[in-house]
Amino acid sequence: MTDKRPKVLVVDDAATVRLYHRTLLDNAGFEVAEAANGLEAVEAALSTAFDLFVIDVNMPKMDGYACVETLRSETVGTPAPVLMISTEDRPGDADRAYAAGANLYLVKPVDAERLARVARMLTAGIAA
Amino acid sequence: MNPLLAQFLAEAADLLSQVDEGLLELERDPSDPELVNEVFRAAHTFKGSSGLFDFPELTRLTHAAEDLLDAVRSGKLSLDSGMTDDLLAAFDLIRGWLAHVTTHERLPATAGPAGQSLIVKLRGPLGGEQATVNPDVAAALAGPVIDRAPDWLALFDPEWLEKTATWLSSTSATMRFVRFTPDQGCFFRAEDPLHLVSQVPALAKLDLIQPFEWPPAEEYDEYACLIGFALATRAARGELDYLFRYVPDQIEIVELNGDAIHRYVAGEEPPQPRADEAVVAAVAQSHTENLELARDAHAILAAAQRSLALEGSVSGVRLSAVARSVAAAAAALGVPVDTADPDVETLKAQVANLLTEVRPTPADAPPTPPPPPPAERAPVDRGRADDPGGQVGTRILKVDQEKVDHLMELVGELNVAKNGLTFLADAAEEEFGSRVLSRRIKDQYSGLHRIAEELQAAVMDVRMLPLSVAFSRFPRLIRDLSRRLGKTVELVTEGEDTMADKDVIEALGDPLVHLVRNSLDHGIETSADREVAGKPPAARITLTAVADGDAVIVEIADDGRGIDPAKVKHKAYEKGLISEEELETLTDSDAVDLVFRPGFSTADQVSDLSGRGVGMDAVRASVEKLGGAVTMRSQLGRGTSTRLRLPLSMAVTQVMVVSVAGQRFGIPVDLVVETVRVPSAELGRVLHQDVVVLRGEVVPVIDLARALDMPWTPDPAADRAILIVSMHGQRVGLLVEQFHREVDVILKPMEGLLAYADEFSGTALLGDGLVLLVLNMKEVLSLAARAQ
Amino acid sequence: MPLELSETTATLSDVVTVDEVEPLVAWLRITSKPKVNLRRCNHLHTGALQALLLFQPRITSSPTDAFLATQVLPLLRGSSGGPVLPESEPP
Repeated sequence: MTDKRPKVLVVDDAATVRLYHRTLLDNAGFEVAEAANGLEAVEAALSTAFDLFVIDVNMPKMDGYACVETLRSETVGTPAPVLMISTEDRPGDADRAYAAGANLYLVKPVDAERLARVARMLTAGIAA
Repeated sequence: MNPLLAQFLAEAADLLSQVDEGLLELERDPSDPELVNEVFRAAHTFKGSSGLFDFPELTRLTHAAEDLLDAVRSGKLSLDSGMTDDLLAAFDLIRGWLAHVTTHERLPATAGPAGQSLIVKLRGPLGGEQATVNPDVAAALAGPVIDRAPDWLALFDPEWLEKTATWLSSTSATMRFVRFTPDQGCFFRAEDPLHLVSQVPALAKLDLIQPFEWPPAEEYDEYACLIGFALATRAARGELDYLFRYVPDQIEIVELNGDAIHRYVAGEEPPQPRADEAVVAAVAQSHTENLELARDAHAILAAAQRSLALEGSVSGVRLSAVARSVAAAAAALGVPVDTADPDVETLKAQVANLLTEVRPTPADAPPTPPPPPPAERAPVDRGRADDPGGQVGTRILKVDQEKVDHLMELVGELNVAKNGLTFLADAAEEEFGSRVLSRRIKDQYSGLHRIAEELQAAVMDVRMLPLSVAFSRFPRLIRDLSRRLGKTVELVTEGEDTMADKDVIEALGDPLVHLVRNSLDHGIETSADREVAGKPPAARITLTAVADGDAVIVEIADDGRGIDPAKVKHKAYEKGLISEEELETLTDSDAVDLVFRPGFSTADQVSDLSGRGVGMDAVRASVEKLGGAVTMRSQLGRGTSTRLRLPLSMAVTQVMVVSVAGQRFGIPVDLVVETVRVPSAELGRVLHQDVVVLRGEVVPVIDLARALDMPWTPDPAADRAILIVSMHGQRVGLLVEQFHREVDVILKPMEGLLAYADEFSGTALLGDGLVLLVLNMKEVLSLAARAQ
Repeated sequence: MPLELSETTATLSDVVTVDEVEPLVAWLRITSKPKVNLRRCNHLHTGALQALLLFQPRITSSPTDAFLATQVLPLLRGSSGGPVLPESEPP
């Protein structure tokens, strides 16, 4: 365990969803930052090294897929785990997420315990 | 209310107005893809957020609206006004629900049926395509799709499975098998999985999913749900989906026929390597007691497998990201693997091993060369790891209005307390003879004064809202009303960015609605009439806002039939509002002003829109109460425009303090024209009315003390102090005892016994702690008129 | 009263809700040879079922409720407290 709280960036255009994710990730021991769309997320990732990203799919300006692609591209180049969380559960959506570089695709609303668990699991691996 | 719900309600209000606005614009320009996208997005965000709460009806209704919008967005449908109506109705219904949620924290009991009928309507336009689009329907037509037997079928008794399979084969029937794995915290959400199970129709078999290892009795947490259920039923898929609609993520349903079960029991077909059971085994290995954890780890591994299988070129950052997630999942399962410095094939093999091996032992783990620690990060990251995180984009804080109001009150009190220092400074000098102390107090005062002023400006700034808030309801209002009246009206708004205090914006609402309704009802002609008059068939209403110094001017203009001054005069005469002489002499513009007289109504036929004669006088009264003014200009046949002038801010009012019979009163500075002192001999009397002649103009003078019923006899030798005010373009002099300074005060509404005293518009605290009554000049003048 | 506790017997009747789970578990923890009467029980909260599975009291009389009698009671009788998944049974 490190004594610093792992940093997570919550990306969602819905303020309510951001608050929800912020609250439960904060409780799960994360330092939480927020971004309201993919573009803001990329900007944030350029200036801060996050340990985890929790990203919505459908967002204005830059959607989740494009955001993850950019995070994985030369521009940002972060290998930090990415959880994509969508309201949609259509066939092919998860594959698009994985093709973009996400590590897990979950459908909203994500059970609070599960999100915390997955987030901790993915960041514990890094901190170890 | 919990903060999440409060946040949702605040966000919902924004989204609703976005949707409304967007839909109306869209109806005008259905081809604008950006507009469709905006509305769709708002509806989508709404649905996403609503899913966080137990509002299934809300989620379903927004979902239906979103689907319709999605079809429009993708070009499958073009939006017509019927659809717009349904969409608007849906969001209206939602608005009503949210009002209910705001007070009761739950949806109204009627939400289900009310929502359902709209869902049917919204789905209507999509219905034609549904048979081909909806996989469920397609599947139903082609007969049920038989799933592969999952390995959790092992939960059922093999003998029973055999018997059932034989029976299913002989009847060519299928059966639904359900696995229900509630999460541990479900009791806290008042869920009772067994209760749900007991409601499964046509239940054929029920079995338990027990934890691998029960905790010791002393550590047992009775509020953690540790068990799950596996069941077989002849109920239809739809019934099951409906029954388990709140827990879809905890449910797995497969459709099996006799053959599929036979093959499973005979071991002919290897069961699909199901995540959770494979993981259960891993759990056993690693002594991890948490089934949930294992399930999540498995999901991550499955995702990694999928990513690696998707394309040949997973490399670079993406490959190391996948490797890291695999390492994390493996670590969580207690079977750590080395995934640093990965190549695709090795990683694939590792994932496959982790996923499918039922009993992986450390010895089974694929040999890999000892690599550097897996936590190796890209140097880019490391260099910036210490940068502060947090702030992303603009942070907007939504604050309860009441809090801002409270802040404003405190600023007011601070001002009062601050003003007290000047009195203290005077006292220091006069009573205690210390000029030094007095000066020091004054220094303190000026520092405090500067801060208080800045604080006040800052709070005022927070209270400023754009006029668009007041204008936002009009697109909808005009659309609905013009349809009902059979008129075609286009709304143009200008200057909606102009800012004004929230109280002003709020107070503007009703007068504006009244004026716009008036325009629609009386001003604007039908398209046919307009064409006869040689005008474009679509009428136009323009709402304009401009800032003018410390005031904001809002103008409502239409290009309708205008006001006929002759008709107005005649009507006013008929109603006894003007004399015969005035009938002859009134100018056209004065005639138009007659519509503001109480009891005047120009419509020959009273419609249900603009009310029943409580009309423009009410508008003028309410605007004047805000310290504003209303004027109207009209050109016959060309249109009418009404102009409201309001103070930018109502929080601080500048008043002129005067005293009468020893008591001080405030008079809004806006009304004050000048202060004059005239020798008492110059006061004249015309028709029982005191008058004073100023620059050739005869100005009536009212004795304020008498109007307010206060005993006061002016010193006959002294000059008379007269305050000249202007009301509706008329000058009136107020005889007072003494003029004082002008002060900025925060006006508070009258309370208690004085609430009914119309001659006062409010009270304000002065720095010396005295309460100042601020006069409502209009009432004072009419009091004076009655007193004579 | 959905839950009546005596020295050795717990009588569950009507609808046993989550509110009864805590006292039931407390009683099961301290009772050495607990017996449970389900005759007049119409519904058992999942938490109560789970407690009966864990503590294995003797069920003295079957419920008259059809669902409980036909579907749930066999689960209580058949359970040996060990894992049910075949793969995870100890060798």
